[in-house]
Amino acid sequence: MIQLKSMLNVIDNSGAAVAECVKVLKMHRAAKTGDRIIVVVQKQRNFGPESGPGGSVSVSAANKVRRGDIRHAVVVRTAKKLQRPDGSVVKFDDNACVLINKGGDPIGTRLNGIVGKELREKKWSKILSLAPMHL
Amino acid sequence: MSLSAPCIRPLAILKQAFRQCRAERQQLRSQRQYATAAETYPSLAPRFPPPSAGFRPSQAIKQNRTETGLTKIPVVPPPRSTRKACPDPIAQITTTQLKTLDPTGARTRLFSPTNPERAQVGDILLVRLKNSEPFSGLLLNIRQRHSSIDTAILLRNQLTRVGVEMWFKVFSPDVEGIEVVQRAAKRARRANLYYMRQPRHDIGSVEGVVKQYMRRTGGPMGGRDGRGAGRARGKKGGKGKR
Repeated sequence: MIQLKSMLNVIDNSGAAVAECVKVLKMHRAAKTGDRIIVVVQKQRNFGPESGPGGSVSVSAANKVRRGDIRHAVVVRTAKKLQRPDGSVVKFDDNACVLINKGGDPIGTRLNGIVGKELREKKWSKILSLAPMHL
Repeated sequence: MSLSAPCIRPLAILKQAFRQCRAERQQLRSQRQYATAAETYPSLAPRFPPPSAGFRPSQAIKQNRTETGLTKIPVVPPPRSTRKACPDPIAQITTTQLKTLDPTGARTRLFSPTNPERAQVGDILLVRLKNSEPFSGLLLNIRQRHSSIDTAILLRNQLTRVGVEMWFKVFSPDVEGIEVVQRAAKRARRANLYYMRQPRHDIGSVEGVVKQYMRRTGGPMGGRDGRGAGRARGKKGGKGKR
């Protein structure tokens, strides 16, 4: 349930850590997994030595976005329960998104975190292929 | 009758004469009364013989009704009551559904409250799915709405350090099997273990426990058909395929 002012974790290596939703595109309801939104980067990720697996990415990738940037993004996880057609329901502990450019390609080159399977139906196969796991 | 004797007597004795007269009149009156009682006027005579003893008008009316030969109105019998034919349709549907979805009855047993070996909240379960990868997690809640066919379980796990919760319908045809990986050490004192979401209670990923279980039951997909798992866990008293 992503709407105006919702804060999301950014799970790619574009350089953003937290983003705020400013617009849900093409719908009059809150965004769910697989929906496209516009976000403002609120917090940058610092790729220092303490960041673990994220530390190995190139410095150029870390500088792709800066704090205050307005970017398009795709919601990949929601804390709101989401029911599947088979009756099962999935719920994550946080809201997360992946930054994309206007063409729909992800800005980052790798994702660190699980993403929802709904991305397949919404034709976000590039994000799915980058994700380490999908559920 | 006695008129002749007093008439001969002298009229001087008036007192006597009056007395006589009175007596006569009384006699006459009484005679006249008898006469009127015996008389029958044709207009007052009952036309029909009096009713016999034990006569009941209501009965008589009923008898007359049938006897007069009124046209019989056809009466359609009421339709058969479905409520009588099938007093509890929901229960019937549930049993038929359970027969098709759970022919062995293993899954019903796994979640039946009478079974001491049932799955309880706090256990770690592994759900094998037909169309996707198996999902394992801590059992937080068992929900049954309306009937037992709706039984659903809530599993919680951490995947890539993100908490994930999933509801599964126990009798869904998409669910191939449900296995108890690890039983709770102690019986939970709550029906829903929602407090396990809090960071201070969260048990984190159950991947290690499930991996150990897989190794014990043989192979990464050890209990795919459920038989290997059943043998390995035989001494625990559990059944392989649930």
